[in-house]
This record gives sequence, structure tokens and C-alpha cells, in this order.
Amino acid sequence: MTARLIGIILSLTAILAAVPDACAQLSVIGGNITATITTGIAGGEPVAVSNSSVTLRYRLQSAITKITVRTSCPGQRFNLGVVAAAVPQGVAAPQVTLVNGMLDVDLIVSIPLKPPSQNQNATLLYTASATFAQGNSAELGNDVHTVTYTLIDQ
Amino acid sequence: MKLRLLISAAILLLLCPQARSQAIYATSSHTVTVVVSTITLVQVSSGVVGLTISGANALAGQDLMTVSNEATNLLWGINSGLKKVVVNSSVATPLFTLKLAALSPSQGTAAPQVTLSTTATDLLLNVGRSSGNCVLQYTAEALASQGTGTDAHTITFTVQNQ
Repeated sequence: MTARLIGIILSLTAILAAVPDACAQLSVIGGNITATITTGIAGGEPVAVSNSSVTLRYRLQSAITKITVRTSCPGQRFNLGVVAAAVPQGVAAPQVTLVNGMLDVDLIVSIPLKPPSQNQNATLLYTASATFAQGNSAELGNDVHTVTYTLIDQ
Repeated sequence: MKLRLLISAAILLLLCPQARSQAIYATSSHTVTVVVSTITLVQVSSGVVGLTISGANALAGQDLMTVSNEATNLLWGINSGLKKVVVNSSVATPLFTLKLAALSPSQGTAAPQVTLSTTATDLLLNVGRSSGNCVLQYTAEALASQGTGTDAHTITFTVQNQ
């Protein structure tokens, strides 16, 4: 009887430790985006373009958390960076350079415990750049990044 | 006693997040596409170059008089492969000879000095996928026997496939 009770308690503990809060949520609002570099400076470099049309929506958890980012872009040729702006809860990390195959890198850290429980919205500011030496999409193809954000214990 | 210890440990695990393994609460992905258009830029640093052959350029007993100008630069930015810069003048029948050379290109290779005409002639080679600049060295030549006059050239630089 005692052994069974211990077993149940340990199982519950393991389950609760492994399964995050039911209200856990992280989502990219705004869908897929395209950044197109069209102009440059003679004797300089192409002009970088920025896009801030996407929002990262997240919720506070029962633990201090952070949001990390990584990308998959096989055959990447150009440059892409992202930084979180207007972060309501937590601290934005410096701009992250997105490189194919990278490990998760911190984007927002020190996200405090809940409450509040409502959604928090940060702006994702992407900056795409290229050099003349890196060529163009007509000859080399576009860079298609699958950018993944993860809400994780800090 | 053992039961109490185990229950205490379980409660501790529940209450203390640090004791848990690092939990992933959620992930979300989207696609970001980076497109780089074909960009081809060529530009001169100044719009007007004046070359005047005067008595100061003349040597008694010598028919050929020359004057040079290196006051302007050519700048370019090209993100396509295998490109060159050619140059031509708008003047079909100039009174005097005008020559041009690209000096000290930061990228690519300078072609030999060009005698300007309405036919496009190579000025810079191997400037594909590069950004750079060079000094434009104009040299005007006149023979004393040609007399006086003025040629007003419109010089056009063009990026072409190599």
C-alpha cells in the first residue's frame, strides 16, 4: 500500500515536472514575411531592409522563462537578424544573427513569473542585408528561413 | 519515516522549478524569405570635367599638346557575376583626341587606356559581384596644327556582361 502510494506520488511529480502549465503559449502573429533588398550604394553595399510586421505573443509561466530563437535555412547566402522590440515582460537580448543550423540563442530573457496571465506581445524586428559580393536571388535563389521560437525555463 | 521523506521530496520538486529539468513550454515557427534583387549601379563622383589645353601645355617645336585630369572617380556596385564597365562618348567626330584610363581600381582589372569614341570600349573588367571605385584619368590631346576649338563630350559608363 505504502509502496503504491509512493509510486503514485513520484509519478505525479514526474508528470507535473515534465508537462508545463496548461496555459503555456507562444505564437508568432503575422504569418510568413518576405524582406526584399532592392537598392544599394555605388562604392558601398546594398541597403538593408527591416520588417517589424510580426508580433511574438507569449505568456508568463510559473517559472522564470526566456524565449530563444534559431533558424533553418539550407544554402543560406544572405544575412538576417532579429531583435525583440517593445518587450512588455522580460529583457530583450541584443540582435541575434540568424545562421543556418545555429543553436538556440536568447531573444528575450528574464521573463518574470505570472501574474498577469494575459498575452504579452513583443515586436519582432527583422533586418535583412547582403553585400554586392554575396550576389543576388536571380542567380542564386532566395534564402528561406524557418525561424523557430521557444519558450523555455531560464 | 521513509514515506514522509519521499513526500517531502516530491513536494519540494513540485514547488521548486530549479529542481525540475528545463521545461519547454511552447515553440512557434514561421518563414522569413530574404530576396535580393539584381542591383547594378555605376556612378561618377562629379558631373563635369574640364580640360583646357593652353599655352602652358605647349612646348615650342612640339606639335602634340596634352593635359590630364584625375579629379573624378567612378564608383560601382554590382551583385551579378561576370560584368565589365564599358565607356563611350557622344561625340562622333571630335576635333581633338580624348583618352580615358581607370587608375587604381579597388576591385576588378583596368583595361588599357581608351581613346573615346561613340563605340563602347572596355574600361574595367571583372567587376561582377563587387563594389569599388577607381580614379578616372582623362587625357586630352591636340596638335598645334589643329588650331583651336571645343569638344563637349557626354561620357557614358555602362555595365555589361563580360
